[in-house]
Amino acid sequence: MRTRFSLLLAASFALCVIAGCASSHTVVLVPDPNGQIGKAEVITSAGKQLLDKPNDMTRVSDSSAVPAPVTTASPDYIAVTFADVLAIEPLPADTFCLFFQSGSLKLTEESQKAIPTVLETIKRRGALTIAISGHTDAVGSAKMNDKLSYERAGLIQELLLQQGVDPQRVTVSSHGKGNPLVPRPDGVAEPRNRRVEVVIR
Amino acid sequence: MKTTTFGLLLSFLIIPPATVFAVDTIGQVHTLKGTAAILRGTDTLTASVGTTLHRGDRVRTGKPGAVGIVLTDDTTISLGPNSELALKEYAFNPKEGKFQLAARMMKGSFAYLSGLIGKLAPDTVQLAIPDATIAVRGTKLLVEVHE
Repeated sequence: MRTRFSLLLAASFALCVIAGCASSHTVVLVPDPNGQIGKAEVITSAGKQLLDKPNDMTRVSDSSAVPAPVTTASPDYIAVTFADVLAIEPLPADTFCLFFQSGSLKLTEESQKAIPTVLETIKRRGALTIAISGHTDAVGSAKMNDKLSYERAGLIQELLLQQGVDPQRVTVSSHGKGNPLVPRPDGVAEPRNRRVEVVIR
Repeated sequence: MKTTTFGLLLSFLIIPPATVFAVDTIGQVHTLKGTAAILRGTDTLTASVGTTLHRGDRVRTGKPGAVGIVLTDDTTISLGPNSELALKEYAFNPKEGKFQLAARMMKGSFAYLSGLIGKLAPDTVQLAIPDATIAVRGTKLLVEVHE
């Protein structure tokens, strides 16, 4: 594995020297953590190249030259060139949805059981940010639900702080019935909207 | 997975998580290996996990060195060794409809993963390398810049 790595490194260096790319830059479009691919356009004063397929790659050597025609970066090239970058990438967020019984500050039994997992995740990750947001469904007035979502978020915040989570790392917001997970007409009950979301990074 | 992603998107929309930080904070160092520094005005600060970032900061890694930063909108930028990133402009206030991200990858190797600014207001994202600019649409990029 190690010999292969050094061979690849030597090969890419040799290619670099041959291609004369000592002062050129490379842009590669790769799938995001959900496997989705976006788009990127690399633009110089002379022209541009569009990257829109997985591992599409272009090179820029000069501000007055068009970026190189799009090629496909090999997995080996990516692994060798970006090894340190990919190894240091922060983990995506862990998100938990904790659900409440209708019109109340009581967690459902299932969500109550999820609390230890939330705490374990915070601890295991050495989480730097814990964002708590409170929500309600569309039953009841905006005023009533603003208060309820605020209290729900506060409840979870209190729960986490009691278990030793650093208050400096916790943010709390409340959204009343304005941010449903599952949009429903006003007045319609929806258990999935009666929730507090905890986003952990 | 889809509902939680949607939920995450929504939970950022009304009040940004930045409320826990001082007003100037635009993000934090989340991962670190070797040495890294934050250049702020005439000051050079040693970066460690949890170090906050301000608009205008330059992040520079040593050799060995690598750093992963997460901005308050969830934009994630990772730097390999001997790299430098300039965070030129940043605004994330969904309630007031304010979005902006301008960053320059000056040298080294990078991974860029767009966050909510890239999803909600992609036209306000300006990524630059020497000799070129990159217009992104909700995406992940690997960039290598040679001096």
